[in-house]
Amino acid sequence: MSAHQHPHEEQDFLFKYVFSQDHKMISKQFLITGFIMGFIGLSMSTLFRLQLGFPGESFWIIDFLLGSWAENGVMLPDKYLALVTMHGTIMVFFLLTAGLSGTFSNLLIPLQIGARDMASGFLNMLSYWFFFVSSVIMLISLGVEGGAASAGWTIYPPLSALPQAIPGSGLGMTLWLVAMAIFIASSLLGSLNYIVTILNLRTKGMTMTRLPLTIWSFLITAIVGVISFPVLLAAALLLVFDRSFGTSFYLSDIYIGGQVLEHAGGSPILFEHLFWFLGHPEVYIVLLPALGITSEIVSTMSRKPIFGYRAMITSMLAIGFLSAIVWGHHMFVTGMNPFLGAVFTFTTLLIAIPSAVKVFNYITTLWKGNIKFSPAMLFSVGLVSTFISGGLTGLILGDSTLDINVHDTYFVVGHFHIVMGLSGIFGMIAGVYHWFPKIFGRMLNNNLGNVHFWITIVSAYGIFFPMHFLGLAGVPRRYYTNSEFPLFDNLFDINTLITWFAILAFFGQLIFFFNFVYSALRGPKAPQNPWKGNSLEWTTGVKHIHGNWPGEIPTVYRWPYDYSKLNDNGDYVTGEDFIPQTVPLADGEKDGGEH
Amino acid sequence: MTTISLDNLDNIKYKTEIRQKTAKPLLWIGLMSIVMFFAGLTSALIVSKSNSIWIKLEVPSMFFVSTILILFSSLTYQLSLSFTKNNQLKFATITTILTFVLGISFTVTQFYAWQQLYHSGVFWAGEQSNPSGSYFYALTALHLLHLFAGLISLLVVVTKSILKKYSPTTILGIQLSLTYWHFLTALWVYLFFFLKFIA
Ligand code: HEM
Ligand SMILES: [Cu+2]
Repeated sequence: MSAHQHPHEEQDFLFKYVFSQDHKMISKQFLITGFIMGFIGLSMSTLFRLQLGFPGESFWIIDFLLGSWAENGVMLPDKYLALVTMHGTIMVFFLLTAGLSGTFSNLLIPLQIGARDMASGFLNMLSYWFFFVSSVIMLISLGVEGGAASAGWTIYPPLSALPQAIPGSGLGMTLWLVAMAIFIASSLLGSLNYIVTILNLRTKGMTMTRLPLTIWSFLITAIVGVISFPVLLAAALLLVFDRSFGTSFYLSDIYIGGQVLEHAGGSPILFEHLFWFLGHPEVYIVLLPALGITSEIVSTMSRKPIFGYRAMITSMLAIGFLSAIVWGHHMFVTGMNPFLGAVFTFTTLLIAIPSAVKVFNYITTLWKGNIKFSPAMLFSVGLVSTFISGGLTGLILGDSTLDINVHDTYFVVGHFHIVMGLSGIFGMIAGVYHWFPKIFGRMLNNNLGNVHFWITIVSAYGIFFPMHFLGLAGVPRRYYTNSEFPLFDNLFDINTLITWFAILAFFGQLIFFFNFVYSALRGPKAPQNPWKGNSLEWTTGVKHIHGNWPGEIPTVYRWPYDYSKLNDNGDYVTGEDFIPQTVPLADGEKDGGEH
Repeated sequence: MTTISLDNLDNIKYKTEIRQKTAKPLLWIGLMSIVMFFAGLTSALIVSKSNSIWIKLEVPSMFFVSTILILFSSLTYQLSLSFTKNNQLKFATITTILTFVLGISFTVTQFYAWQQLYHSGVFWAGEQSNPSGSYFYALTALHLLHLFAGLISLLVVVTKSILKKYSPTTILGIQLSLTYWHFLTALWVYLFFFLKFIA
């Protein structure tokens, strides 16, 4: 190695920590950038919850943080819209797409399949830096004249297509589009690498049916990303043409401020089609990695093989496929032909089948397990809970006849936060607790982790469960205040309650961030295999080295779920309750993934 | 590959091996995303077409010339790969340069075609424009944008073959660039027929 050492320390630092091409370092970069963005998104939601829970009341913290976006401690209505838009954008894309996939695909793909690194370290590095630049531009857009984009995270035209429509439609919207275009490039570069690495660089013996479910979930996520993100890029480009060059892809028969515009022949509904062709798969881009991560954790911490390994893979494939043909369920009220509505209802309800299979398999894996409730395990079980309770309301929204009644109300906000927001977050946090020893070589504090979990699950349900009742009563989403409508007066206490829970949730996350930063620097040193796991990442040393394994890459002989496996005498085969993938099969022993 | 130990990680041989294994799949999956990009745009056109003010347009005659040129360029590029494989490197260089020239000519005819469109009153944007015209310009310009990337890769291949960097066994670079170029040709043919018959 010495021949490759750089003479200058500075240069070493630059290539090791900044422009690193090592997947483990890139994973850390994604994690930390993602968490910073997530913290900003979380703070935004806490601030606008203050407005919703206590409309018109003055808060010094709002004055202090929002500056000119507030007056006498009350946030301005148009800035409320900007905050909601940016909150949604940041949470969905920056935290739960780049942050989640970027961190765990990068960390785990090479380590779990037995590869030295990604297929292309260079493209991988580009992927991170595109993400970084995109994050910076998105944050800069908060400070520009007119404020950040305000048309909702779905940026429907005409609000997004006419720069003069609302304050956020100007420069803020332009920067949103630029940032997202760069973001899409980052996501595509990442996905290319993930897919090719998984398909081409597995170590000897690592057949597709010996892959941990994490890897399967990252693979399917990346494929879904490669198929759907380019369509969003196409949609965004046509939007840019309409905004900046005067074409009429999405605009027709429109006037603004009494003045007729010359646009003719376009349709905003076209944008909705293109947007939701990405938008729905995006939900699964968030969800699938969380499902993969928690499958792994649930099996390891129950000390039981995952139940229905092949069924888990098949249902993820089915979900990935179906996710591309359901987008119309977001558009039931656009004047869609009722027959087409019925088709989309059908495909949407079909997704319930693979989802139910997954839930069943989680529960049967837990059943009679020798469960160890580490914080990672708590959050994984939390995900099983949110996946069920959010999935059930999905059945209602997927049915066109029912959806029409609650479309664009808080029922929807409650639904998607639970099924996508909470499940995504729980999966990501579970992954951080579980693989923290692998990422930082130190352990997180368990007690703080437990406190963090209980505060989070209680406040999360406290926030989002009551929203369903608001929605059923007709409270619309994206409203600055609900105190102007006598109709909703009797719901006021619910709004206040939700806000108190939001504040609790915020402080709960501070505990986590403290634990994260403190433990990364000062936590107790981690053992090599703290959870007694079977997969390959636990065969690498605690200290990161370039290339992952000092000698040869280990060969794999079995699937990763041989927990508590007994021999004919009823004893553990290896004397321990787990058999790493690197242990050869005994005579006559069957590989678990094969049946 | 498992036999290579850590000491060899920065070793050129190891890096080439990984490249050999992964460069083509990387390209193919990249192409898949470009396919989805144009699938999105062309389905958008189909949705827009149902609008009552949609005007059906004739394909400008220059687009026929473009089609012939790009088909020829694919042929010459393919020839250049065969020449390299047969170690007829001089012919290989000539055919690569020819491909590049054809690529440039394709670009020129695109600009002529846009001029034809413009003179026949088909505008990209503004008061007198119709979405059908805007799609014509947008689709072909976005294809051309992808073609520029192909031209850059061609330039690299031209330079390297003038510098005699290729041999019958070191052809990965040509193969990658060639695959991309064929893809551009196929994409153009698709767009051409799509614009002619569907738009
Ligand atoms: C404690 C955490 C959170 C709170 C209190 C919260 C609260 C809210 C509320 C009240 C709204 C609706 C505002 C309105 O319609 O006027 C909203 C919108 C939204 N949130 Fe959250 N949220 C949280 C976390 C998340 C997470 C983790 C995600 C990730 C998926 C997320 C994604 C979104 C999206 C996509 C929207 C829609 C934005 C739009 O309408 O354009 N949120 N959030
Ligand atoms: Cu959907």
